Amino acid sequence: MPAKSPKTLLHGTLDALILKTLAAGPRHGYAIATFIERTTDEAVIVEEGSLYPALYRMEKKGWVEAEWGTSELGRRAKLYRLTRSGRAQLAAETAIWQRFTAGVSKILLAR
Amino acid sequence: MKRSLRSWLWRVPLEREVDEEIDLHVEMRVRELVERGMDPQRAGDQVLSRIGDVERLKRTCVYIGRKRDRRMRLTQWLDECRQDVTFALRQMRTAPGFAAVAVLTLALGIGANSAMFALADATLLRPLPVAGADRFVMVWERRDGVPRGQVNPADFLDWAERNRTFDAMAAFLTSSAAVAGADGMAQAIPAQAVTPRFFDAVGVEPVAGRTFVEDDTQIGTVVVLSEGLWRQRFGGDPTVVGGSIRLDGAPFTVVGVVPADVRLDAAATGADRPALWRLMSLSPERGPAQRYAHYLRVVGRLRPGVTHEAAQADVSAIAASIARETPATNAGHDAGIEPLARWAIGSELRLTALLLLGVTGFVLLTCCANVANLLLARTTARARELAVRSSLGAGRRRIARQLLTESLVLAGGGGLLGAVVGWGLLQAAPAVVPAGLLPPAVTLGFDARVLAFCVASVLVVAVAFGLAPVWQATGASPAQAMSQGGRTATGHAWRLRHVLAGLEVAAAVLLLCGGGLLLRTLLALESVDPGSRSSELLTMQISAPMQWTPEARNRFYQDIALEVAASPGVGDLAWGSALPLDGLWYGQAFHIEDGQTRDPVDRDGVGYQIVSPSYFDLLGIPILRGRGFTDLDTSEAPQVCLVNEAFVRRYLESREPLGLRLSVNAMAQPPMAVVREIVGVVAQVKERPEQVDDEPHVYVPHAQNTWWLATLVVAPEEGPAAALVPGVRAAVARVDPDRPVTRVRTLDAISREATARPRFRAVLVGAFAALGLLLAMVGVFGVMAYSVQQRTREFGIRIALGATTRQVLALVLGGAARVIAVGAAIGLLGGAVSGRAIAAFLFEVEPLDPLTFTVVPALLLLTAGLATLVPALRAASADPAVTLRGE
Repeated sequence: MPAKSPKTLLHGTLDALILKTLAAGPRHGYAIATFIERTTDEAVIVEEGSLYPALYRMEKKGWVEAEWGTSELGRRAKLYRLTRSGRAQLAAETAIWQRFTAGVSKILLAR
Repeated sequence: MKRSLRSWLWRVPLEREVDEEIDLHVEMRVRELVERGMDPQRAGDQVLSRIGDVERLKRTCVYIGRKRDRRMRLTQWLDECRQDVTFALRQMRTAPGFAAVAVLTLALGIGANSAMFALADATLLRPLPVAGADRFVMVWERRDGVPRGQVNPADFLDWAERNRTFDAMAAFLTSSAAVAGADGMAQAIPAQAVTPRFFDAVGVEPVAGRTFVEDDTQIGTVVVLSEGLWRQRFGGDPTVVGGSIRLDGAPFTVVGVVPADVRLDAAATGADRPALWRLMSLSPERGPAQRYAHYLRVVGRLRPGVTHEAAQADVSAIAASIARETPATNAGHDAGIEPLARWAIGSELRLTALLLLGVTGFVLLTCCANVANLLLARTTARARELAVRSSLGAGRRRIARQLLTESLVLAGGGGLLGAVVGWGLLQAAPAVVPAGLLPPAVTLGFDARVLAFCVASVLVVAVAFGLAPVWQATGASPAQAMSQGGRTATGHAWRLRHVLAGLEVAAAVLLLCGGGLLLRTLLALESVDPGSRSSELLTMQISAPMQWTPEARNRFYQDIALEVAASPGVGDLAWGSALPLDGLWYGQAFHIEDGQTRDPVDRDGVGYQIVSPSYFDLLGIPILRGRGFTDLDTSEAPQVCLVNEAFVRRYLESREPLGLRLSVNAMAQPPMAVVREIVGVVAQVKERPEQVDDEPHVYVPHAQNTWWLATLVVAPEEGPAAALVPGVRAAVARVDPDRPVTRVRTLDAISREATARPRFRAVLVGAFAALGLLLAMVGVFGVMAYSVQQRTREFGIRIALGATTRQVLALVLGGAARVIAVGAAIGLLGGAVSGRAIAAFLFEVEPLDPLTFTVVPALLLLTAGLATLVPALRAASADPAVTLRGE
């Protein structure tokens, strides 16, 4: 896979996608990545080199919290869940995204 | 809170956390590809190449994870703190009585300590809070037995010229200046007469105009004002600087204004802050006449980097060379330096500050012990709750932290309230502290340093009394505590409470001993017979201008006497120069004229009093032999004098005093010897209440040595002497409105002032001792009441088995007696040691005063009896039927 994918995410969007994914319930890192990729029909590819640092950073900020659960393989897995402040962050990011896309659309999709 | 709890419960090392997480990810990705039909080997390669550098990714995650953990620990810690504080406050609400007692006790202890800290800070820790304070020194003349001798003008000029270690040296003396007051009557302003370089020597810069320069001595009539005087009296008017004001009825040019400065205060003597400075005129001559009169104080500023030792060696060498050059006047005279701060504070004040700090320190300790005891009782009652916590997984450390937080909340409350108490004490201090105990250089205030002291005491105190319950709570196993149903105290807490009560008793006894000794001193001082009548008499100081001739002064005093005597309500009056118990008197050199030629150095000093004929009669001082003075002893008449009993004993031995001739210096500028015939012997008078050795004094007639300062003593025809004040003041103003009347006091007030410092110490230490005793008895009561409550069942059984009331009483009281006896023994031992430490404050009382050391234990026994009686009676009245069923 090339280092610079055309599908490279806009800065900050990955956080929002992770938060949104976790809003449905706790998941481990791999499940987050596959969920995003499948839901976007692989329009968004989540690279491990971005995903895990992002998860640790969000844990530090208190948006998500982790606990040890069991994976489908019966192995110990670190499950992430959304915290209250994570939920608030998601709402904020969503609002920003809406404004951003609306703005960009006005130019790009102008007749 | 939930999150943090989980993170503690499922604690995994960070490296393993990252490893497991990333490895699982890789594994699942590979599995997915394989399930889609990819060859496992290729699938693994593809996943790894997609990730790139796996190790680097793990390192990044570990790095961020470490920061995450640090942050989580902090939030968790803060969470727990908030939780503990909330819990502590809830605990306090459930037992408001306990909380109030604990907080008030601590507030008293911390409050008293913070006020005393302010005193100790101002006197001991930083007596001269200016940069380079140790460069400012006093320079004294030292001769045998006199460590702080005043300096003669010629010696001062020699020191100032020859030294190599001073930047500036100046001489000064206390004076006062009369300025017209708002009411038209002259008002005396405390002042100093100084040499030109005075302000250089104390390092004070003017805020307006300039300070003195050498050329000012040509004019002489120049003055420097203090900023306070300039603002109060002249409204801070800048045109005053350079303008002219009237002092003592003569015009003076104001050259500058200096700010209030602790160095100026330090150089002041007595309680008055000087508010204006004039130049003194010093004769440049250095003959024997200039070396006889020692009336100057000398202050100097050392060159930068010069040590006190070097400066001391320098002035000593100069004094030695002066002594070689003029042995007739200076043989045996040395010079010595002393830091300005040390001179300003004085040893009595330093010792008083230490005494009070020590006393309040003991009170604070007692407060801590008391609160610790209260907490121990509560912790015992809470044993079940703590055991539940412990069995739910709270570690010993966690429980200890929670208990310490509770202590800290209590101490914090106590500290907050204590700061208010301390502030209040310091506000009230100026009204309570006797004048003269605090020199102007010492100002008491509640500043940031006192606040910091409060915070520090809160922390220390919280640990001091907080450790006791921690020790108790974490010592017992949860199973043990729960099975006992929180009913019985564990053994070591039991002992600890008795030890604490014993310590409180010891501290109280120690304080009582100190208070007792100081109280006995006060009583002894107050019962001192001054040797004079202490009836209603009004006294005041009146000054004639210094430049007037003795004849003019004599006329001035006569006019005042006539005017005052004619005022309504005035009975007799007399002139003097010193008053019984006032502690101030002139001294003069003298020798007995017995035909031998003698060295001028070989002259003794003697007290010198100038009195009018009616003085002895008015003050009730008996004439023992010969005659007193009469109106015939005028300046033209033969020069006569009286001597007192101590003079006869020390100098005349078996010789007949009457008819002997003395050569004694008269008060004059410069002093001159006058030969006088002794015409009588008067009874001894105490100059100070604590005086042990009688001072020899010579009395001379007012008319034969009229000095510019005199003390007027007035008796009312009837009623209180204080009522005469307005009439007498008005009478003086009618003679000369420019002359101020100062130090207006009754003779009673003087004798009260004389014992004001010992009274201050006795009252303060006594009050703290009483507080200590009260606290200790509360402590003893608490321990006894609690132990009786715990053993009710046991007593019930004993009574059921036939024990008499007397036997149960003996059992309870025996326990109390042991605590009290051991505490009292330790306290008495401490009292004996501390009695020696305050020996300098004692008067006619031995440090091991038998009365004090019997009354104190007796007092303790009495109060301890009261404190233990109620619990003991409750034990004795235990009803077996009730107590046995009670479980």
